[in-house]
Amino acid sequence: MTKKQEVFEEIVKRFVELKNTSELMIDLAYSSLMLNSTELAEEVERLEEHMDDLHTEFELLALTSNFKKEEASGFLGLIRLGVATEKIADAAAEMAEVVLRGIEPHPVLKMAIREAEETVTQACVTHNSPLLNKTLKEARVHEETGMWILAIKRNTKSLRPKPATRILTGDVLIASGYSEGAEDLKKLASPEQNCSSTE
Amino acid sequence: MPHFEKIEYKPIPVSELLLELKNLSELMIDLAYSAALFNDRELAEDVLELEARIDTITYHLDIEIMIAARDAKDAETLIGVSTVAAAADKISDAAADIAAIVTRNIGIHPIIGEIFEKVEERLMKATIREGSIIVGKKISELDLAARMGVDIIAIRRNKDWILDPTETEQVFLGDILITRGAPLGIKEFKKLAEAKLKKLE
Repeated sequence: MTKKQEVFEEIVKRFVELKNTSELMIDLAYSSLMLNSTELAEEVERLEEHMDDLHTEFELLALTSNFKKEEASGFLGLIRLGVATEKIADAAAEMAEVVLRGIEPHPVLKMAIREAEETVTQACVTHNSPLLNKTLKEARVHEETGMWILAIKRNTKSLRPKPATRILTGDVLIASGYSEGAEDLKKLASPEQNCSSTE
Repeated sequence: MPHFEKIEYKPIPVSELLLELKNLSELMIDLAYSAALFNDRELAEDVLELEARIDTITYHLDIEIMIAARDAKDAETLIGVSTVAAAADKISDAAADIAAIVTRNIGIHPIIGEIFEKVEERLMKATIREGSIIVGKKISELDLAARMGVDIIAIRRNKDWILDPTETEQVFLGDILITRGAPLGIKEFKKLAEAKLKKLE
């Protein structure tokens, strides 16, 4: 790989991180509304600040990459993509703010989010779950259920899922995916359905 | 001058409008990124059309919300709905900005598109090749959502894009599909489309 391509690759990686973070924020913002969860809404706000840093780093990297004149337009396009991710993140933060302001989400919001093609669900992990004490990487939740874990609620904290995160009893998994998968996830997390639902 | 649809009151349930707003705005983001990164002008133009549609939905939603508020208490709970709707509208605006990168000929460096396809794991383009077992199948028969967490968001057939295809849509040889979903799922699907994998698990 040429030097130039390495630089390109680094910039694109940063952009993909911006893109993924902004999309995670949308998912979490809708979940915070559906569950009326302040913790999730706060997580969205925290990610919004993180986005600002990521975006600045991304722009600085793009600006210092010494493009040739004929390449400039193609990189302007990439910079504009970055701006769009920022706008998406802002929109997600505005949604989360509804929860943080203590406005009880209108039932119609719950209805719309629940009926959307991709649903958000939460499942708490009981002592007899096969997921227990596995890392997210070992648990292979999305291969098993098609569901994506967006966040893990543990006590009062909401953790961002990483491959090495270990699943513990009492964890609440917040996941998005298709409704078929939501049921599978609940069965996997609480096999005897004796988990008190916090919904 | 663009053509703007005249807004007249129609009784449409707020939940229906919100649902459409949420689904469409999310679809638009994926389509817009695809248009930019695969440098596809037609797809970008389709995204701009969807943006106009979102604007119309937002108008209708605002009207419904105004009618639904009878007192201060109603207004207090409904303000959350209009804020969320405004945010979804903003997301669709961002998608339109992305599409405009293509329609205004700014473009994305082709190398970026190539690297993107390698790095990004949730969005993929696949062409249906000779010998693929999904040729002639209906989307409902493939049952991709349950099988591999994959969703076909657009199909290019001849010169046109079919956006958010329905379950009864069939897949033909030569179709270009844009899929989104679980990284392992979309990789598996690409192999199926390109006839490198011959059976559905």
